[in-house]
Amino acid sequence: MINDTLLMMLIVGLIVSFAILGMFIWGAKDGQFDDGDKMMDGLLFDSTEDLNDAVNKEEKIEESKKGQKKSESPK
Amino acid sequence: MGDVKCDHCHLVFNDSVMIKDNELNFCCKGCEGVYHLLKNDGLDSFYDKLGNKTILPPLDVHDDVQRFDTNSFEDTFIKNTEDGFKQIDLIIEGIHCAACIWLNEKVLYGTDGIVSANINFTNNKAKIIWNEKKIKLSDIILKIRSIGYNAYAYDASVADEQAVKSKRDYFIRMMVAIFASMNIMMLSVAKYTGFFTGIDDEIRQFIHLGEFILATPVLLYSGWIFFRGAYFGLKNRILNMDFLVSSGATLTYLYSLYILFGGKGESYFDSVTMIITFVLIGKYLEVIGKKSAVDTLDKIKSTIPLEAIVVANGIKKTVALDNINVGDIVEIRSGEKVCIDGKVIRGEGSFDESSLTGESIPVFKQKNDLLYSGTINNDSLIRYEVTKSYKDSTLNSIVTLLEDSLSSKPEIEYKANEISKGFTVSILTLSILTFTVWYFFGIDLGFNYDGASNFEKSFIVAISVIVIACPCALALATPIASLIGISELAKKGLLFKEAKFVETFAKADTLVLDKTGTITKGELKVKKMRIMDENIHKLNLLYSLLDASTHPISQSIKKELVKKYSLTLKELEEVKNIQAKGMVAKYKNVDEKSFSLVGGNCELMKEYNIHYKFNSSNSVYLFAINEKVIATFELADEIKEDAKELIDDAKENGLDVVMLTGDNNIVASLIASKVGIKNYISNIDPIGKADYIKKLKKEGKTVVMAGDGINDSVALSLSDVSVAMGNSADITISVSDVVLLNNSLKSLKQAFSISRRTYKFIKQNLFISLLYNLVTIPLAMAGLVIPLVAALSMSLSSLLVVANSMRIKIKD
Repeated sequence: MINDTLLMMLIVGLIVSFAILGMFIWGAKDGQFDDGDKMMDGLLFDSTEDLNDAVNKEEKIEESKKGQKKSESPK
Repeated sequence: MGDVKCDHCHLVFNDSVMIKDNELNFCCKGCEGVYHLLKNDGLDSFYDKLGNKTILPPLDVHDDVQRFDTNSFEDTFIKNTEDGFKQIDLIIEGIHCAACIWLNEKVLYGTDGIVSANINFTNNKAKIIWNEKKIKLSDIILKIRSIGYNAYAYDASVADEQAVKSKRDYFIRMMVAIFASMNIMMLSVAKYTGFFTGIDDEIRQFIHLGEFILATPVLLYSGWIFFRGAYFGLKNRILNMDFLVSSGATLTYLYSLYILFGGKGESYFDSVTMIITFVLIGKYLEVIGKKSAVDTLDKIKSTIPLEAIVVANGIKKTVALDNINVGDIVEIRSGEKVCIDGKVIRGEGSFDESSLTGESIPVFKQKNDLLYSGTINNDSLIRYEVTKSYKDSTLNSIVTLLEDSLSSKPEIEYKANEISKGFTVSILTLSILTFTVWYFFGIDLGFNYDGASNFEKSFIVAISVIVIACPCALALATPIASLIGISELAKKGLLFKEAKFVETFAKADTLVLDKTGTITKGELKVKKMRIMDENIHKLNLLYSLLDASTHPISQSIKKELVKKYSLTLKELEEVKNIQAKGMVAKYKNVDEKSFSLVGGNCELMKEYNIHYKFNSSNSVYLFAINEKVIATFELADEIKEDAKELIDDAKENGLDVVMLTGDNNIVASLIASKVGIKNYISNIDPIGKADYIKKLKKEGKTVVMAGDGINDSVALSLSDVSVAMGNSADITISVSDVVLLNNSLKSLKQAFSISRRTYKFIKQNLFISLLYNLVTIPLAMAGLVIPLVAALSMSLSSLLVVANSMRIKIKD
């Protein structure tokens, strides 16, 4: 009985830690850790304004991509 | 009046020089402009982010931005993205802190037409994507300049992209390995505690299973690099470190797998992960080094102009460098960089050749003199005939050579670690021997394997030989000692980029030194100063004349004068720069009396009919008012205090010392005899230096080279260990293996002695592990390795090696 519990804990522990590792690899592949210095200082920029800026940036990229497709499609 | 802080750049200046604007203080117009611009655009939270840090005042760039919109520029640098936008890679100059990145990104994102702008803090590279229908590239560059930074384009080469990719790849592999080894360590605690206190067979099986799950990705994914390296090594018939690591890890893994599925004994999944993790961390550091070297190369390349002005039939045309042919006439203005080799046909002027020769004094060039690319035209308009195509020109060949040497550097790795290599080869042989003997002769010393077949028994015993001997001692003997050696060296101001150079340093038999900046201080210092007339008004005139010139001699004398007298600047008239000789000017005082001022070398004095006898082997500067000499100065480059000490020490330890210099023979022989170098070569160009190192290496010498300039960089990258002075050019530091942070040659001497001692301890460590294995291997071969012996020999041999390495710290 105790052994079964131990086995279960081991398996759950491994699954959780592999999930965390997976997320880490996801971030690394996206280039999150390419620039070590910027990543470390990024922690300092967490005011409302900075977070809004980050969202605006992503929206702007999306928008300009959409706009570009629209202007191309009539051709 | 005290000192106040500039409100933009936060640098501190005297109150009297500041520009006042209400309550604000600025050190220059540039700072003031940027401050108001940021305030108006609501970007003043930049200053909160900046905190107490200082930045450089805005760069004052008057360079023409039109060239960013030319076709040849677009062909070289601008790429099209999939979405139909344009993309460019820039290097941004002037970035110091995270606030700078924030400001640049914020401004660029706020600009209509820019799709995305991503700036890398570590290497200041930026990737900008924009919509060309909405904004021109030149406007983007102007935007960056308006907030006080500058941008250069660079060609994001294949090498660069690969470096980014492989860095990321190694990073993920390393993190997987570190993750797994940390978890395995926790499981191992349970396993080894159980080993001594007793543990349920079933629970031990669980632990083995967990270790198996964690070790498998490490071996197959993280360890893939070693399998690949081993494969390429075998293809070239080299038994490299990769082969040893991968074969050791695989065999240990297979053995543990056998234990997991019903075999008797202990599994060693933990050793598999540990070894791969440790060696991989070392490899990752190497990859980072290579990446930063690529970054610096890009920085050099981005400053090379793309085009030059070609004069044909009286018409000036801008032509891309690749399209300029031998025989074309090129015009170059003052302040511009020569980008293609040639011969002067019209005009004369002084050229800053420091990037090629390392000498700070400009060289005077007139008709028929050769111009080299990479040098800078200081002061005049010159036309020259192209003698070499861009591809063969000096600057381009230096960059190409550097690229080549960076990609071929790992060659040294094969040579390193020869002792451990021989050691492991014999272990492998012994294990095969054990298997053969056990299998064919069926030796059985009575150890019970529970009815395993003969083959199984032989296999387990053979593998246990490798498992016991191979990993720990081998993996730790060298790195631990080197690591402690390196930290000792770092305390003395010596930065070793990789541990293996300690070993190479200790084995070196030739020391090659650059002259200017390495043996000498590399700057002209006033050696003797004689002032015949100490009238402060006359000295003010001298000071004003010196101030009008940027020549290193003038600057150095100016510095010396200011130390002794408090002087003020006067308004001079008709200031003329006489090439390579000096300066002349006129001065009118309040009574409208005119004075003629002449300052320069003896030749200039002769030209102006001033008779003054002065003999000196140093550089000379004379100053005369109305044809009467009132002050004389002698200047020379000083030899560093500890140069002789280093050279004597090197000779004592049996090293050949060679001096290479781009300077002339007279100066070279003088310096060489002063510091006691018999062997020196003068008048040598960067490629000549590189060839000399190649020649030495062909003769089988192990070469340590120390240098400081771009002119040394190719030679440095070729030598076995290269040492850069801390104040070297960026590129020199990045191709070097060791950086002397304090520029002191005494530290270089210590580098030799500490390296030798470290190497001695490496040998001792290998001896200890060898001795240990002499005891355990026979036991393993006899099939007597019970788990207790295995556990002990694994940890005890490592502990011994670590403890022994600590002794490096104890002495001196």
